[in-house]
Amino acid sequence: MENSNSYSPYSSSSVDSTKPSLSVNLSLSLTFPSTSSQRATSQDWPPIKPRLRDTLKSLRLRQRGYNTALFIKVYMEGVPIGRKLDLSTFSGYESLLENLSGMFDTSVICGNRDRKHHVLTYQDKDGDWMMVGDIPWDMFLETVRRLKITRPERC
Amino acid sequence: MNYFPDEVIEHVFDFVTSHKDRHSISLVCKSWFKIERYSRQNVFIGNCYAINPERLLRRFPCFKSLTLKGKPHFADFNLVPHGWGGFVQPWIEALARSRVGLEELRLKRMVVTDESLELLSRSFVNFKSLVLVSCEGFSTDGLASIASNCRHLQDLDLQENEIDDHRGQWLSCFPETYTSLVTLNFACLEGETNLVALERLVARSPNLRSLKLNRAVPLDALARLMACAPQIVDLGVGSYEDEQDSESCLKLQAAIRKCTSLRSLSGFLEAAPHCLSAFHPVCHNLTSLNLSYAAEIHGSHLIKLIEHCKKLQRIGDKGLEVVASTCKELQELRVFPTDLQGGGNTAVTEDGLVAISAGCPKLHSILYFCQQMTNAALITVAKNCPNFIRFRLCILEPHKPDHVTSQPLDEGFGAIVQACKNLKRLSVSGLLTDQVFLYIGMYATELEMLSIAFAGDTDKGMLYVLNGCKKMRKLEIRDSPFGDAALLADVNKYETMRSLWMSSCEVTLGGCKRLARKAPWLNVEIINENDNNRMEENGYEGRQKVDKLYLYRTVVGTRVDAPPFVWIL
Repeated sequence: MENSNSYSPYSSSSVDSTKPSLSVNLSLSLTFPSTSSQRATSQDWPPIKPRLRDTLKSLRLRQRGYNTALFIKVYMEGVPIGRKLDLSTFSGYESLLENLSGMFDTSVICGNRDRKHHVLTYQDKDGDWMMVGDIPWDMFLETVRRLKITRPERC
Repeated sequence: MNYFPDEVIEHVFDFVTSHKDRHSISLVCKSWFKIERYSRQNVFIGNCYAINPERLLRRFPCFKSLTLKGKPHFADFNLVPHGWGGFVQPWIEALARSRVGLEELRLKRMVVTDESLELLSRSFVNFKSLVLVSCEGFSTDGLASIASNCRHLQDLDLQENEIDDHRGQWLSCFPETYTSLVTLNFACLEGETNLVALERLVARSPNLRSLKLNRAVPLDALARLMACAPQIVDLGVGSYEDEQDSESCLKLQAAIRKCTSLRSLSGFLEAAPHCLSAFHPVCHNLTSLNLSYAAEIHGSHLIKLIEHCKKLQRIGDKGLEVVASTCKELQELRVFPTDLQGGGNTAVTEDGLVAISAGCPKLHSILYFCQQMTNAALITVAKNCPNFIRFRLCILEPHKPDHVTSQPLDEGFGAIVQACKNLKRLSVSGLLTDQVFLYIGMYATELEMLSIAFAGDTDKGMLYVLNGCKKMRKLEIRDSPFGDAALLADVNKYETMRSLWMSSCEVTLGGCKRLARKAPWLNVEIINENDNNRMEENGYEGRQKVDKLYLYRTVVGTRVDAPPFVWIL
């Protein structure tokens, strides 16, 4: 049974749900070991109502300073010169993709590779390259270090 | 009793108000069943899919108050996808068609539309009270219909709903001649409020007892409102943003001082801490203080506020030791995680819980989020407070053991259920084995609702609970290794319960199918939002694990309003 993340519209169906000891980082930097069938996303754990969750989140944001920008480097595979992007200006994956597609003048998507579209990947704070879109947006903001747009597969 | 005329028996029945008791008297004999039916005023339906409006009306043709609950509890935590169900429209349509004189409607976790509210407002001449808790699907336009059309409205109580705020003029829709308002709670509205309309409304509502404002009501407006409504008993403060306005602070203080009936305080969504002192004059009378959303208030201000509140019975806060030493009358406590990351001196640990249990002997309900816990602490708490009715403990990190001994917390929770003979609601967390469920099954004889997350080892755990807890009504389980064997062991048990929720457990599609076959009086729902019916089309193997299972007893069969991602077996 696929363990798709229901909160991301671009969740990859290739997430391997049988790997043991998958480490999950909650967006609030709480790490705990968990097995594949027992994971909590930052949207449904801990069990507090959405309104309270939002209040706590905005408090944290305020403590950090609303105007903290989140500039990261973006590269297109095959193009040596990269761009810089402030992720804090986007509300979610959709707006990010839209902006990137405009910036690089090509269509960029998350999810499965296919021949037509560029696929967006990111380097997380462990240094690993991952598919964008699997985790909730705010978790992504905590962990992303740089972005890379991969070339479409060629015949 | 049977020698008395019906009217006398009916008069006696008037004193029987609890739903359970009314149900009991209806079972005594046919005559009592009939009298009870026609005299029933308040109907409570815990699951809107367990019955339908037609059958409700056939059984109770004369009721005045209806309570309906829709989505399962875990919907509060985003575990139930949007569109699952719980629509109130068919209920309101059916009630409107009938001749029932509805006066009160209380809805929880239901989908309410503007159309529903409009129909409600036009269909019941004597409609008095609307209470919506955790509902969604409507906008301020719906509120405008209620305000415009319900001439005898007393209560409009909106608690934690998702309301589309069109920034309209719903408050001005209350006619100038309308003066019967008793409760007005719109704390969950996000948009701006027409302050002039609000002030005029409050000024012409001499019976106003409970007023809960939203973010958009600033300090100076609050001061004016309080001046108009010194009789207020329950106040929800909105926003306090303007710290510089000391004149408003003084005006507020003067107005608050006149509110000698004030007993309950909540809100403080964006409170300027030093304005809290405006409330000090009334603190000694407060029995309920809910600071859940007061994320801005820290340490000393909070402590000062609490120190003034000697009569507290209900509180949600952070200054626990202060609470323990000053609030001897405390009965209910909610401690929310101020910082989900934890650590530092705002951390909430087992020490706070022990302090509370030692200092507040009347404590009977607790919802406690914390970083860590120990068995020793729980055993102490159980000894100090054997009167718990509700005990909900949420250790933020799943599977976390006793942080001193590294043992599971089985013994700690075991002590709680053993000592608290009246325990009706329990939520467990931390590292737990099947053993804790053995204790629960053995000792928690009055338990009606149990929430389990990331706990247990084998099917035995769930079986201990199902076999032991005779009064179980709602069982909700997530991320625990219980499977088909436990699910199918005693199918008839589910007839005695309202519902069972299992998500990210080990139950399989085959198991669920077998259950549905064995128990046709159950609705067995598989919620699978990502597949949208692909489960059926692809001919899923019986061994496939089910992500979300929700089953409930019903007398009206499969519901007709299920979305595509819900598969009813």
